[in-house]
Amino acid sequence: MIATVVLVLRFALSIALYVFLGWALLTLWRELDQQGKALAVQKKPRISLRYKPEWGNDRTLSFSQTEIIIGRHASCDVSLMDETLSAQHARITYHHRQWWLEDLNSTNGTSLNENTLTTPTVVISDDEFKCGNVSFVIRIDTEESIST
Amino acid sequence: MNRVIQSNLLKVAAVFLTLQSVILTLAPAVKMRSLDADLRFSHWIALFVWGLLVFLIHRAIVKYLPDADPFIFPAAALLSGWGLLAIWRLDASNIGPRQALWLVVSLLVFLLGLRLSSQLVFLRRYKYLLFASALALVGLTLFFGTNPISIGPKLWFGCCGLYFQPSEPLKLLLVAYLAAFLADRIALGGRMLTIIMPAFIISNLAVLLLLFQRDLGTALIFMALYTIIIYLATGRRRAILVSIAFIALFGVAGYYLIGVVQARIDSWLHPWDDPVSGSYQIIQALLAIANGGIEGRGPGLGNPGIIPVAGSDFIYAAIAEETGLFGTVGLLALFILIIGRGFRAALRAPDLFRRLFAAGITSYFGIQALLIVGGNIRLLPLTGVTLPFVSYGGSSLLVSYIGLLFLMHISNHLDEEPAPLQNHQPYILVSGVLSLGLFVAALTTGWWSVVRGPDLLTRGDNPRRMIEDLFVRRGALLDRSDTIITTTVGKIGELERSYKYPDLAPVTGYNHAKYGQAGLEASLDEYLRGIKGTPATTLWWNHLLYGMSSTGLDVRLTIDLYLQFRADEMMLGHSGAVVMMNAQTGEILVMSSHPSFNPNHLNEIGQSLTSDPNQPLINRATQGLYPTGSVVDPFAAALFGEQSITSKELSTLHESMGFLQPPQIELPAAESLATNELEHFHVSPLQVALASAALSNHGVIPAPSIASAVNTPVEGWVVLPVLGTPTRAMQMEMADDASLSFIQKGDNFWSYLGKASEGDTSVTWFLAGTPGNWQGTPFVVVVLIEEDNARLAERVGRELIVDAMSP
Repeated sequence: MIATVVLVLRFALSIALYVFLGWALLTLWRELDQQGKALAVQKKPRISLRYKPEWGNDRTLSFSQTEIIIGRHASCDVSLMDETLSAQHARITYHHRQWWLEDLNSTNGTSLNENTLTTPTVVISDDEFKCGNVSFVIRIDTEESIST
Repeated sequence: MNRVIQSNLLKVAAVFLTLQSVILTLAPAVKMRSLDADLRFSHWIALFVWGLLVFLIHRAIVKYLPDADPFIFPAAALLSGWGLLAIWRLDASNIGPRQALWLVVSLLVFLLGLRLSSQLVFLRRYKYLLFASALALVGLTLFFGTNPISIGPKLWFGCCGLYFQPSEPLKLLLVAYLAAFLADRIALGGRMLTIIMPAFIISNLAVLLLLFQRDLGTALIFMALYTIIIYLATGRRRAILVSIAFIALFGVAGYYLIGVVQARIDSWLHPWDDPVSGSYQIIQALLAIANGGIEGRGPGLGNPGIIPVAGSDFIYAAIAEETGLFGTVGLLALFILIIGRGFRAALRAPDLFRRLFAAGITSYFGIQALLIVGGNIRLLPLTGVTLPFVSYGGSSLLVSYIGLLFLMHISNHLDEEPAPLQNHQPYILVSGVLSLGLFVAALTTGWWSVVRGPDLLTRGDNPRRMIEDLFVRRGALLDRSDTIITTTVGKIGELERSYKYPDLAPVTGYNHAKYGQAGLEASLDEYLRGIKGTPATTLWWNHLLYGMSSTGLDVRLTIDLYLQFRADEMMLGHSGAVVMMNAQTGEILVMSSHPSFNPNHLNEIGQSLTSDPNQPLINRATQGLYPTGSVVDPFAAALFGEQSITSKELSTLHESMGFLQPPQIELPAAESLATNELEHFHVSPLQVALASAALSNHGVIPAPSIASAVNTPVEGWVVLPVLGTPTRAMQMEMADDASLSFIQKGDNFWSYLGKASEGDTSVTWFLAGTPGNWQGTPFVVVVLIEEDNARLAERVGRELIVDAMSP
């Protein structure tokens, strides 16, 4: 009789151990799920670049991604056939809730508001930067703010 | 959110440990099969202390480290509570309370440490000082070290009954030092070799010191930790390859130079060769795991105390026996959880120092767990390291909790972004390999407990069988009219074998904790234990409930205790054997072997019995081999019509009378001994008795039997099969004629007195049996005296046959 009671307790013991593990796994999965959702709804302010190509009118490009690479190479997001540009010249990325401009060791350098760029720097709307001889004006749409 | 997760997990952990404590309390009642047993309560103190401190720590974590990882602490708390109960169960008087005390110290340090700043600046700033002083402390054990159990390497500082092993904190400080050093150097840039070199030299200094101290397990962990941290910091796979080559080199060198390493590796590769000394521990650990099976015997219901140092090195095997594969898989999963969360905290750490430190601490837990669990299940050679949080060992527990504390601090990054990471692959690889290793350990545990388990448990060196004899009634041996020969007496837990008719000991044998089994106790063991003859469901249920077999079954022998008593009485003081059997059925009525011994006193006389020149342990009736001499004459007369025969005829006689094969019976029987000269042929008294039976049984040698029936719970008495088959030795008329011609004047039975001598020893044979025309049950008797004593031989044989033939 007592042995049967203990047998039931022994099974309860095993179950308790796996409840612990199962609960931990379930929570981990939920956390992952929420993180994914949070990332999915997290919006970044849209950025657009206005520049003047060698010929023709001013052009404006808008981007939905968080990383924009400017250069001469065809794979760049902003690919321009300008001799003063390096293959991969500069990068604009969104992190820490800011847009950052960064020079990618280009030959002719990048300057922001007339100052030569050495480290990644935060940029705001209406900032002007120059890659080689090409100048860009940044426009950041502030209406779409972050919602987490 | 974190607060809720942590609190819920801790609640489940508390339920788990409470259930375990309840079972531990009730376990003696299950073993004794009644509530009137010494229930255990002392471990509730341990549970209470655990609960109180864990509750306080939970509150403090919520207050001081609200964003810390909510999984790590509950998993560690569950492991250490589990370990504490397992240790307390093994030894409630000494190491249990000690471990409880150390757990209190560790948890208090953890509690106070939660107030530290999460930057861990002091570790980074004073890395050289901390590491150097820890190294110096380890060095000092060379001069002032002691060992708590007084043998083995002196790695501890001891005072006032408490011992501390400085190589334990050294592990953690090595990780801190390497993390701080590499974080500083890598930021400065430069060639990889110049970055690694200083750390390499200092780490090797530590390894050399540990090797010198014979603290080989710690040295191995040092090399592994060094490799992992270098690999994580640099991302160079070469670091791992070089290190594996180093460890292999050290292993091979150690194998030839250091005795301990050689012994460990030998007992890992060939454990079955040396099960009593070198591999005793590992085999007992495997037996414990096998006994645990899938569901485990239940806390307090197994026998993990059999394994030497079960509390520290073999805690995993001890837990495996009582919680089974269910428990060990869960335990390994808890370690995998800690590894996963630890590496997650590392990847999210705000700077390189904390990232490397967190990954290093987690690897330290993972490697230790892998090494010792692998050693317990023969996946790896045994290294005497502890299972973090679980094993007995104060220094290890304290250091594990300090490591956990740092991990908690690192995981508590408020709004700090993770430091940039160039290559995440090393982190994924290291955590993956460690988790995979633990997964393989779980599979191997399953292999021992499920696949190899049933086979392993039947090993003779499994002490559980003898423990079972104290708790489960072993079946009795009865004579042909159900008089008890051997039975089990005493109360549950103290059952012992009682031999009511000790003179039969050379035949019935004994069942003894130290000397094992012999005679019928050995050959009928499966019935006497109830393994055979009991329904499989009953056996399964008993095993599930008690981890033991069900009640043993009584076996009825063919022995007639009255005739047996007469024979033994007359043989007293002489060496020799008597066999009397039913010539037709082969049932043995008397089997006497003298000198005999009293198995009730085996504890006292056991040692001297094996060296006794008179060899009382030998069953002379079946194992004794004696020269045939003139005893073949009646058979020669029956087969060839005359007593003087050629040697060719003699060998035909040996073959026909069954002297060439040992009789098939539930007793060890010796092969007959054939030398070149046929006259010196040796046979056992049982063989002669069987041959004589042919004369009384119309030429047919019966198949001998000594165990006739077993009392099964379902079908009642079931007849046991006879092992051999009857064979015809000669024509019916030849046998009947011969038996009539050997009737002496005034007798109604045939008889023959034979002699044989070899060197200066001579033996006397006396054969007698009912004649071929006897209408009642046919009997034969064979007497052998190891001396020239025709009077005694004749007297024994005649009295027995007359007694048997008179109604």
